[in-house]
Amino acid sequence: MAEERIELPQGTLDLLILKALALESMHGWAISERLQQISREALQVQQGSLYPALHRLQRRAWIKAQWAMSENNRRAKYYALTPHGRKQLGIEINAWRKLTSAVGHVLDMA
Amino acid sequence: MLSDLLYRLRALFRGKQMDTEVDDELRYHLEREAEKYRRAGFHSNEAVRRARVALGGHEQIKQQSRDSRGTKFFEEILQDLRYAMRSFARTPGFTALIVLSLAIGIGANTAIFSVTSTLLLKPLPYPAPDRIAILWLRSPGIGIPQDWPSPGQYHDIATQNHVFQDTALAIGGNFTLTERTKAMKVDGIQAMSSLLPMLGAKPMLGRIFLPEEDQPGKPATVVLTYGFWQREFAGDPSIVGRAITLDGEPHTVVGVLSSGFRLNHEALPTISGIEKPEFFMPLDDDGKNPSNYGSENYNILARVKPGVTMQQAQSDIDVIAGRLRQEKHRDRSFTISVVPLIEQVVGNVRAAVLILFGAVALVLLIACTNVANLLLSRAAVRQREIAIRAALGAGRVRMVRQLLTESILLSLMGGVAGLAISALSIFIARKMHPGNIPRLEELGMDFRVLGFTLVISLLTGVLFGLVPALRASRVDLTANLKAGGKGSLSGGLSIRHDKVRGTLVIAELAISLPLLVGAGLLVRSFVRLANVPPGFNPQHVVSMNVGAYGPKFKDPITRVQFYQQLAKRVSRLPGVTATGAVSALPLTSTVGWGGMHIEGYVPPANEPELQVDQRSSTPPYFSTMQIPLIRGRMFAETDTDKMPPVAIIDQKMADRFWTHGDAIGKRIRRSEDSLWITVVGVVGVVKEYGLDTDSRMVVYYPHAQVRNGSLYVVARTTSDPGATTAAIIHLVNAIDPDVPVYDVVTMEQRVQDSMARQRFAMTMLSGFAGFAMILAVIGIYGVMSFLVTQGTGDIAIRMALGARRASILSLVFQQGMRLALAGAVVGLVGAFGLTRMMSSLLFDVTPTDPFTFLSVLSLLLVVALSACLFPAGRAMRIDPMVALRAE
Repeated sequence: MAEERIELPQGTLDLLILKALALESMHGWAISERLQQISREALQVQQGSLYPALHRLQRRAWIKAQWAMSENNRRAKYYALTPHGRKQLGIEINAWRKLTSAVGHVLDMA
Repeated sequence: MLSDLLYRLRALFRGKQMDTEVDDELRYHLEREAEKYRRAGFHSNEAVRRARVALGGHEQIKQQSRDSRGTKFFEEILQDLRYAMRSFARTPGFTALIVLSLAIGIGANTAIFSVTSTLLLKPLPYPAPDRIAILWLRSPGIGIPQDWPSPGQYHDIATQNHVFQDTALAIGGNFTLTERTKAMKVDGIQAMSSLLPMLGAKPMLGRIFLPEEDQPGKPATVVLTYGFWQREFAGDPSIVGRAITLDGEPHTVVGVLSSGFRLNHEALPTISGIEKPEFFMPLDDDGKNPSNYGSENYNILARVKPGVTMQQAQSDIDVIAGRLRQEKHRDRSFTISVVPLIEQVVGNVRAAVLILFGAVALVLLIACTNVANLLLSRAAVRQREIAIRAALGAGRVRMVRQLLTESILLSLMGGVAGLAISALSIFIARKMHPGNIPRLEELGMDFRVLGFTLVISLLTGVLFGLVPALRASRVDLTANLKAGGKGSLSGGLSIRHDKVRGTLVIAELAISLPLLVGAGLLVRSFVRLANVPPGFNPQHVVSMNVGAYGPKFKDPITRVQFYQQLAKRVSRLPGVTATGAVSALPLTSTVGWGGMHIEGYVPPANEPELQVDQRSSTPPYFSTMQIPLIRGRMFAETDTDKMPPVAIIDQKMADRFWTHGDAIGKRIRRSEDSLWITVVGVVGVVKEYGLDTDSRMVVYYPHAQVRNGSLYVVARTTSDPGATTAAIIHLVNAIDPDVPVYDVVTMEQRVQDSMARQRFAMTMLSGFAGFAMILAVIGIYGVMSFLVTQGTGDIAIRMALGARRASILSLVFQQGMRLALAGAVVGLVGAFGLTRMMSSLLFDVTPTDPFTFLSVLSLLLVVALSACLFPAGRAMRIDPMVALRAE
């Protein structure tokens, strides 16, 4: 796998997971696949980062987890956004937009 | 955040389940990943391999997930606890030893803390207790620091002060209750109606006194305490409105106080020594008479206005006292002191309690030191285990934490056992009622005490655990793994190689020395005190108060006849060799004194009116008590009211006014306008107030001439005093069932009781000191044993090179004694500083008594020497060949 990888800034993974879960509840593998697809393979989420992040988000009660049958009829753990998490997603997206536009401005100026 | 905490808790207690879930989840992930590769055309095995590579280490991910649950810290503690429990289970004896010494240390501290907390910290059970004060008179001419005021002084204070919101005058008294068939002596308080509201007393039934009820001419009323109502009237709810007979007069019960109300002798020290009043009644006419300056038998309680300090109250009262000195008193030096009630109650035990508290704290410190030493020895044994853990990557912080967890767990176990010990000792203390310690019935375990125990347990855990933990965790990996865990044998036989342990032993000795010196000083005081001659012979003397007062004895002649008849019949009892009676017996709380004028003696203008103790006695009283006659004659049966009045004085008075034995025939009188009384005899000085207190001058009158209504009957017996006591009580009941008998105690017991407080302090401190010494000895023994074990190789080499056994022996002793001497020197310095605080507890011994210091020092050195004995013996018996081969 030779494609270029992007180092995710601190906390960005949490935002991406929340965003991914905003559409529908998903299990861990699906989240990593989804992020990979949507980012056009630029973001490859390691399990080593994904699962700790999922636990962290559960601890903050932004997502909740539940075992359910997967599309291939196997037991898998599904994660879903909580109302609290949905609100948080809004806040984080706003913050991200502000940050990127601010950083963008600075870069354009220079 | 609540959800955060809940999540962490769930993660903590269901960690296993969560781990399994993570496993399942990762496995699922792996499968899907492998599936993806398979679909891309890889072989099954290759697909799985690729998936694994893509995913990274399974265990590592699990660990990271676990970390992100936020329970790592707690999990490690649980792990440490489990590990600690396992290691305790491996060494149960060692663990028990540590827990036991900590339990004793913590238990003793908890017990003494609960005493301290109850006595000194807990507020008195009255509303705003820090604003209540008791007022005392003080005249330097009269030998007691707290003299009871009179109603006249009360009225002056009550009307002239600007600082008190409320004042109350009260007096205690013994009354005869006639209920059913038997007469019973009961203690009561006569008080102004302001007293009970001031103390926050609430009625449970009926009411307390109305303000006008202490005015003259009101019907006789009484308010009962809860306990009295329960005991004597079986909690009869219809008691209110009923009349009970007190001193032959009907008194209407208007109320019963609630059960929580307490008023003890400590808070209201009445002159008649009422331990605990059974009822309250309005003050009689004497107490209401503002011109009554004669009977100084009353207590004044006062509540200062809000915002007024006790100092301000004192200065206001000083002004009033100044005025009284000018206008009404001969005594120009008299003062009135405002004593906060809490000071009155605990003032004279505060020093003892604080010293005991200090002492137990020192004992705990020694216990900690010892446990630290034990842990160090264990750490030496465990070095290999620790080295292995270090080699496996445990960091130093992690290991210190593990060791600290162990020590705190030990101290908490010690704390729990200590709580049991202190609960037990409090139970015993309450049963024994050791000495006249105030507020003892309030003693118990409360949250303050439990909190204290928890805090000192944690503190001790850290205190004794830190040094061993820091030291044990600093491991030299290679040396320890190579030496096979026994520690290095080439350490050499010198304390220099073990500074920490040596310092701990020195500290133990240094701490136990002041304790031993303090205990020694108290023992010496007690021995001195016990050897003070009381001025009478207490052996085989029974004594009891027999009260011939009340309406039947209105005519004083009948009292004289009653006691004469009783004496006649008591003297015929088998085993009774002598019997007599006196109005105030030595070493009881009964007192009696008054003014005295001496013919031809005019007191200097600035000197107070002469006050002396005054007693009336029957003629055989002196011979029964074996109070020696020094000059003149004893009273005779012929000294009746038909004859000229006579008196016997004690040696103290004779020495003051008439030296050279010329007191006989001199005349005295009780006031300016009373009859002259001729002195006919001089008797020995009797310790009236306590063996440690100098008596005042005493004058005795024949009972036939000064007919008190309440006398202590004493009888000297040859046989069992119990049987004689019962027989005398039986006689009194046979002569007159309305005469109460109380305060039945042998004279020997009275002497013992008078030393109760000193005995209590001595016993406690000696116990602590003994415990401290035992711990210190274990400490020296432990270190010396350890040194010998460590130095086996060294000793063996010396022996192999021809060292004689005697020199090995002296080597060990030298090491031990060096520690002992260093500890003794430090301890002596501490003792000199600390024992100074004890002077109020000592009797006839200086705080730096050289005899005590030298005895304690030699005791400690001898004990230290013997603690070296076993290790030295073991060192001597070392077989060089065996030891060196083992190396």
